[in-house]
Amino acid sequence: MPLTPRTEQGKAFIRPCTIIYLLLMSLTLLTWALGRFNAQIGLPAMTLSMSVLGIAILKGHLIGDFFMGLRRVRGPWRWVVTLWLLLPASLITIAFMQAGQ
Amino acid sequence: MMEKRKQPPGDLAIWIFICAELSVFAAFFAAYAFTRAKHLELFNRYQQTLNTDYALINTLALITSSYFVVRAVAAIREGSQRSCARWLLAAIAMGALFLVVKSMEYQHHFSHGVTLSTNTFYMFYISLTFFHFMHVIMGMVILAAVALKAHAGGYTAERHAGVETGASYWHMVDLVWIILFPLVYVMR
Repeated sequence: MPLTPRTEQGKAFIRPCTIIYLLLMSLTLLTWALGRFNAQIGLPAMTLSMSVLGIAILKGHLIGDFFMGLRRVRGPWRWVVTLWLLLPASLITIAFMQAGQ
Repeated sequence: MMEKRKQPPGDLAIWIFICAELSVFAAFFAAYAFTRAKHLELFNRYQQTLNTDYALINTLALITSSYFVVRAVAAIREGSQRSCARWLLAAIAMGALFLVVKSMEYQHHFSHGVTLSTNTFYMFYISLTFFHFMHVIMGMVILAAVALKAHAGGYTAERHAGVETGASYWHMVDLVWIILFPLVYVMR
């Protein structure tokens, strides 16, 4: 089953990178909305922070895999962006937990 | 079954450079977060002076520019040099939009007397975002050089490592902003 709908010639008329692009734009709007309207939503600060950080990690992983082309790479280079995302995200999480205590 | 390559797209040297750049930004992000933990009230108060609408426009601009760069790489892989150059010019235009919006944001703060020494929050905000701003400029210069060469027919469907190298650098600039945006503008 193909990932995207195809024309009669078998060419995808929506490229997978376009789907990823639209997903990235939607996740960005979600991040902005969570920050902008949190007074109305009423999420605790820590929940808000960890939610938008999680969204950022997902976005970064999508950029690494689909835009930088790392999903077509094997070996250690395959994980360079994911590992980089997890490093500052872990440190940021520890720092925010410290601040929340 | 998708055939996997051993090395990432583009010149391996750019990936060493990207790793070095990402390490510096990771240290910067950690320094921001741990300093914030010590000055929580100050960071939360002055973070509210930042314009998240400008940050949203800038994030959308960088993601769009990255998408245009992906299309440029796809175009050259299909052997279309002119199309590759056009997508790269569109990406540069999105980079320029980022610089204009960021400059407006800086102008607003500077006109209100904000400097690096105003307080610890602004010191981090200005230095972190300006460091990234300089990377955007450098990325635009690289993309412009690649676009000119593509327009002149310097790349083919078989030989286009230069396009992939420039693309990888530009995606790194986008990647850094993806963390910077929530960390500095949203997380509290």
